[in-house]
Amino acid sequence: MSEEQAHPPELPAEAVARPGEPGEHPLSVLLFAWMRKPMIARYAMICLGVIGIGLIGAEWLISPYRIKDATNVPGFYGVFGFVAFAIAALSGWPLGKLLRRPEDYYEKRSGEAGRDR
Amino acid sequence: MTVERLADWLANTNPGFFIIAAALLVPLAKDVVTRAILLVGGPGVALVALINAHGLSINLSTVHVLGLDLVLYRPDSLSFLFGLAFIIASAIIGVYSLHRRDPLQDSTAMIYAGSAVTAVFVGDLISLFIAWELTALSSVFQVLAPRTRESGRAAMRYLFFQVASGMLVLAGVCMFAVATGKTQFALIAPSMAGLPVGVMDISAPGAVLLLAGFGIKAAFPLVHNWLQDAYPKASETGTVVLSAFTTKLAVYALARYFAGLDALIWIGAIMVVFPVFFAVIENDLRKALAYGLNSQIGFMVCAVGIGTQLAVNGAAAHAFVSVMYQALLFMSTGAVLYRTGTAKATELGGLHRTMPWTTLFCLVGAASISGTPYLSGFVAKSMAMSAAHTDPTLMIVWLMLMFGSVGAIVHSGIRIPYFAFFGRDGGKRSEEAPFNMLMAMGMAAALCILVGVAPGWLYQFLPYQESARAYLESELWAPVHLIQQFQLLVLAALAFMLLQWRKLYPAEQAGVTIDVEWLWRRGGAQFWSAISGSLGRGARVAGEWMTRAGIAIRAAGRQVFASDGWVAAKVPASASAGWCLAILGLVLVVALFG
Repeated sequence: MSEEQAHPPELPAEAVARPGEPGEHPLSVLLFAWMRKPMIARYAMICLGVIGIGLIGAEWLISPYRIKDATNVPGFYGVFGFVAFAIAALSGWPLGKLLRRPEDYYEKRSGEAGRDR
Repeated sequence: MTVERLADWLANTNPGFFIIAAALLVPLAKDVVTRAILLVGGPGVALVALINAHGLSINLSTVHVLGLDLVLYRPDSLSFLFGLAFIIASAIIGVYSLHRRDPLQDSTAMIYAGSAVTAVFVGDLISLFIAWELTALSSVFQVLAPRTRESGRAAMRYLFFQVASGMLVLAGVCMFAVATGKTQFALIAPSMAGLPVGVMDISAPGAVLLLAGFGIKAAFPLVHNWLQDAYPKASETGTVVLSAFTTKLAVYALARYFAGLDALIWIGAIMVVFPVFFAVIENDLRKALAYGLNSQIGFMVCAVGIGTQLAVNGAAAHAFVSVMYQALLFMSTGAVLYRTGTAKATELGGLHRTMPWTTLFCLVGAASISGTPYLSGFVAKSMAMSAAHTDPTLMIVWLMLMFGSVGAIVHSGIRIPYFAFFGRDGGKRSEEAPFNMLMAMGMAAALCILVGVAPGWLYQFLPYQESARAYLESELWAPVHLIQQFQLLVLAALAFMLLQWRKLYPAEQAGVTIDVEWLWRRGGAQFWSAISGSLGRGARVAGEWMTRAGIAIRAAGRQVFASDGWVAAKVPASASAGWCLAILGLVLVVALFG
């Protein structure tokens, strides 16, 4: 037995994440394996961008005469969704620093964290 | 007993009693089939009883106890939907918990569900208080179920808040009943469009106490933390049970007694927004979902505060669908916890490979809570949003609700499935969830889809059916409404992908998030430590002064009363007689002329 057979080299993360890896549920291969293809995230972003612009255009076509206030401007919902999501997600940086404490923060003084498990 | 009499008895009995009766038999069940029959059959009988109720908006069952008329069963179109949601949730949870044999947890979970159903169908404040307390006492066993020291402490904190809520309700009921002599909600105030909703004036005696009691159970801001503290400490089934009943019962009580109260609009709007920021940084996915639940309750509270027919419909519809999709999300994270032993985002990821069914059901729940058209969240949430949008004075509130909608996409729509089932591979290759769990998740997912695709089914049970029908025909499926909602979802998803691509999305990190609970878990201890230190120092100084004073008094006493002191000094008899005479004379004068 060669050295390589006795101690196979550790597989890179991409290889481990290959579709249909040993022990993977067939339904997972059927439903989710496509997500692991390279560049799929880029394609998804482009698709979402195109769909988003298309939806704003569709709103403009359907209701150009209904503008009464800022909330009726075509694209308001899309822009609001994008900005609000970014604000909510990015707030995690400062809030995490401000509010996150070690796992044993509340139980430290009695020294009992994890004892029961 | 003839069949007719049995049917009559069934139709005039509060459906919650059947669930409680089944719960009492659960500990006696020896095998899984009997358990399954009781856990699902109890809610089944309750459902049959509810559907066959002998009419709405009439007292179907009353008893006279201690000079009080207790209305044990008075269904109407508001309580019907809440009761229906609770009964369906109870049956689904029964299926979900079949894999584990814990008679105490099973039994108390059913008592909890039964008392919640009872609470929504009783027709007076005293019966409501009794059922309210029963939910509190039975639900604490769900937190205790893991039997760890951590869960035990969380259970005590949980119990404190629940009992405090009950005491406030009791005090409010007593004050109101004594002042007005009324306890039946149908007799308190004129109905709103034929339905007793928002029957209590906030200036009525005890009303503020009732509102405070309901508010604690609804997890109002600053008293919300019992929810995020206790729910993640319960077992995988316990959290699902807890998520379904307590807060929605509070929403029902708020709608029944305080619909249209302006303060609720802002309380609800704040509830919608602030949990979003905690949920996005929380590592424990069940705790993140608990924050999400808090935000969803905010939508209902806000709609109750708006108080129009459309808004009350929105609150009731949202409560119904929220029971289903929140339970579905808690069930899927519970299945992950059951199989992997953790619900921490830092330790999960990539589970879709071995748990694809659980992943699929979680995605349905996530899409529902995000408000995806043709799923349940959209048909309910949009109603409450529309009620806010139609009132120009509520523009800021509407924007807050919009932010909460996007927040739901952030914390539950994307974050939960991404970190648990996709994202960075945590390396765990656990088995798929047990069959009973998958079955329960499948039932909840099917309801999310059914209500989303055919909302008319849900809308027919709403409190104000004319308003619901008008909304369904004119607004819900309007092309512009659908396009706007899809815009919101698509561009929010794009924001997520861009942030991930540029590595700007905050990575999951281990740790706990401090919230207002810090005040009683750490701050309280520090406060009392500081107080007791100051008191100790003060007591020492006071003690020294007291010692000195004591020495002085003892010395003075010795000088006066000692054998050679002033009292014992020889006084002439004539002087003593003179003093006695003077004192007796003074007493005589006072007695005669006083």
